[in-house]
Amino acid sequence: MIKIDTLFFTIVNRGKANAVLRKAKECGATGGTILLGEGTVQSKLLEFLGMTEIRKEILMIPASGDLDANLHDQLSETFKFSKRNKGIAFSVPFKRWTLEASDQEHNISIDDDRFTHCCILTIVDKGRSRDCITAARAAGARGGTLIHGHGAGVPADSYYPLAIEPQKDTVLVVTRKDKAASVRERIFSDLELDKPGNGIIFTLPVSTTSGLFETRTEERKGGTS
Amino acid sequence: MSLLFDKTKEVTKTLLPVVVLVLIICFTIVDVETDVILRFIVGSVLLLIGLTIFLWGVELAMNPIGEHMSREVATSKSPVKIAILSFLLGFLITVAEPDLLILGDQVEGASGGTLASAIIVYMVSIGVGVMISLGIFRLLKDKPLNKFMAITYGIIFALAILVSEEFLAIAFDASGATTGALTTPFVLALSLGLSNVKGGKGSEENSFGLVGIMSAGPILAVMLLSIISGQKNIQGDAGEYIFQEGVIGPMLEAIPHLFIESLIALLPISILFFIFNFTKFKIKKGEMGGIIKGLTFTLLGLVIFLTAVNSGFMDMGRILGMEIAKMNTWLLIGIGFALGLIVVLVEPAVHVLGEQIEEVTGGHIPVRLIRMTLSIGVGIAIALSMVRIVVPEVKLWYFLLPGFAIGILLSFKSNPIFVGIAYDAGGVASGPMTATFVLAFAQGAATSIETANVLVDGFGVIAMVAMAPVLSIMILGTIFQRKKVEYHQTSEDKSTKATSPVRRDDLYYDCLLVIVNRGFADNVVDLARQSGATGATIIHGRGTGDHQTVVLPIINIELQPEKEIVCLITETDISANVANNLLKDSWLEQEGEVAVFISPTVAMIKDLTLDNSFLED
Repeated sequence: MIKIDTLFFTIVNRGKANAVLRKAKECGATGGTILLGEGTVQSKLLEFLGMTEIRKEILMIPASGDLDANLHDQLSETFKFSKRNKGIAFSVPFKRWTLEASDQEHNISIDDDRFTHCCILTIVDKGRSRDCITAARAAGARGGTLIHGHGAGVPADSYYPLAIEPQKDTVLVVTRKDKAASVRERIFSDLELDKPGNGIIFTLPVSTTSGLFETRTEERKGGTS
Repeated sequence: MSLLFDKTKEVTKTLLPVVVLVLIICFTIVDVETDVILRFIVGSVLLLIGLTIFLWGVELAMNPIGEHMSREVATSKSPVKIAILSFLLGFLITVAEPDLLILGDQVEGASGGTLASAIIVYMVSIGVGVMISLGIFRLLKDKPLNKFMAITYGIIFALAILVSEEFLAIAFDASGATTGALTTPFVLALSLGLSNVKGGKGSEENSFGLVGIMSAGPILAVMLLSIISGQKNIQGDAGEYIFQEGVIGPMLEAIPHLFIESLIALLPISILFFIFNFTKFKIKKGEMGGIIKGLTFTLLGLVIFLTAVNSGFMDMGRILGMEIAKMNTWLLIGIGFALGLIVVLVEPAVHVLGEQIEEVTGGHIPVRLIRMTLSIGVGIAIALSMVRIVVPEVKLWYFLLPGFAIGILLSFKSNPIFVGIAYDAGGVASGPMTATFVLAFAQGAATSIETANVLVDGFGVIAMVAMAPVLSIMILGTIFQRKKVEYHQTSEDKSTKATSPVRRDDLYYDCLLVIVNRGFADNVVDLARQSGATGATIIHGRGTGDHQTVVLPIINIELQPEKEIVCLITETDISANVANNLLKDSWLEQEGEVAVFISPTVAMIKDLTLDNSFLED
């Protein structure tokens, strides 16, 4: 078991995050932040009908070492992450930055062998997130989660001195490390991210996952690796 | 299937109580013909299907259209263009509203032909256009909504003195008629889009309120019309009502008529959008496909929904009203209250508003709470309307004027975001369900009570439904303001120190997640920019710590403080600097409760080759 500080991410259906957070607090977490997002469906019929959206909530809990493992075990069991479509959880090594320890350095590296998965984040203009998911799927990823946000203000030339805040979608794809490179490049080239203003893509290491399905037949992957 | 399932479940949850209550009344108190009961049951099933499809359509089509339109409006370079464009939007969506045409005909009949139907329709549409225009200027200039609405309603009250009670009712009813099933979602989307484009600290508050501003337009227009034309009294009586016979027949008969009505209502927005798309937006094929699908769903869903409501619910409402009014006054008031309580939740716009509230506040304001408040408000409104029908001495303005007056006073004490929601809720609650089912119930009751005038009392009901939520949600907002989440001063454990040595040879960037209280994200971005970071993405969320939640008593709903998450990608050599500067800012630290998380990341920002070298490792 890796003893590092992490941010514990859970993606569950809309409305369940509060229950998960309560359970997490029982396990010893001090708090968490909840974001609204959207999941994706894989069905030709639904796609044709334009119903490609499942409402999700993303819960982030700062956790360290033991708590992280504890959360994975407890939450997977309570909320049955091992079953399909019940939700997923994964941990990203994140250092909580503090002033007193400002001489600290990163003690984690993305290509560490302990990290079995990668979390690929793509930030694109609103409306292009579907293309992004399509590209990720084409390269072998299973699905993704969208989070709506907005870019920091850019002053615009219009009658009112508005600072235009462009609407952005963040696409979150968790995939096995060996697939990550191809997924990343596929998204990069399909969405033409090499052109300025089209968006950015970056990858975070993932230390532990629960409830993630890589293929249709594969059973619970990762567990507490 | 999840979304299909979710939406259906949501609609069923709101529809079921209505069906159960009505059927219980049918089998216990009132003896209703089998035909009507059967039609009501078929109607309920159709309503479920129609409303579900309609809500999808709105999400797929109305939201993107509103977004594109609002961007076009907000980024215009001249105020004249903004004024014309927003006036046009307001005018076009209103002039095609089927409810307004019906109202125009009714008024023409009631005024003995002095006021032609066309004049009313055009005056009301101009009123809406002007108000939308003013509303958009208000939003862009960041003028507070509560003052704006206080002035607007001040003018309405001043005019109300000069207008007869009948026209007061018609005026408020006209506002209910314009905020129909299609216009409300569109204006909500427009408002959301505008505030998104504008951004800034008030963006959340600005997402609401435009529907409320819009619904003041018709009131002013009709009042002015009455004063100018000198028309004071309305005559006539609602014609003898004929109940339909059969079960499926009336429904099939209604479809072609309703289809054309819905199509006409949908056309102006679509055409305007396609013209703009052709000349300005030029959106991608995939997105366009979604919008066209959405428009089709909207039309289909609306037709099914209106068919269900008109054929299945109207007769039932009328019969219940008539029969119960004959029996017992208290029973009538009680059942009116119960109906108002649950019927309002089936309104399509209530669902749309609820979703928007959740989306905008990142789940901070529980939708359940808004719905409950809305229900109670409308329930009381219907109950009071019944009192008014039974006791002729009680006038409409006894309720309307004090109601709005208290609402306006509270808007200065209330949590700012609730002010917009409250004014919007008035328009949202008076949709097609109220205009058919509840109105039929009230008119039915009025026919059975000799002292009541079917026409006048009928008009008043919608005015009451439009007023009550404004007041009830304003009260909620005031409570919210008082209960406002007290930000607990955290004493974070700052002793965590890194132990192992660095390994950053392969890493080019760091990902910084900065979590702050709402409203501080802009400061974070400014500071980060000063420290060398370039751009940032901001996401809304809600958070909890140990002592930060407030639980509302009785209903047991937890209020969680709103947070903003700022995501920054910086080069490794400046990330520490950025993080330190953020944490050093004492104001941000204390008020914003900033928390910074850092992780190494591989980013492909401009140059693919940089990362290729890494991938080959």
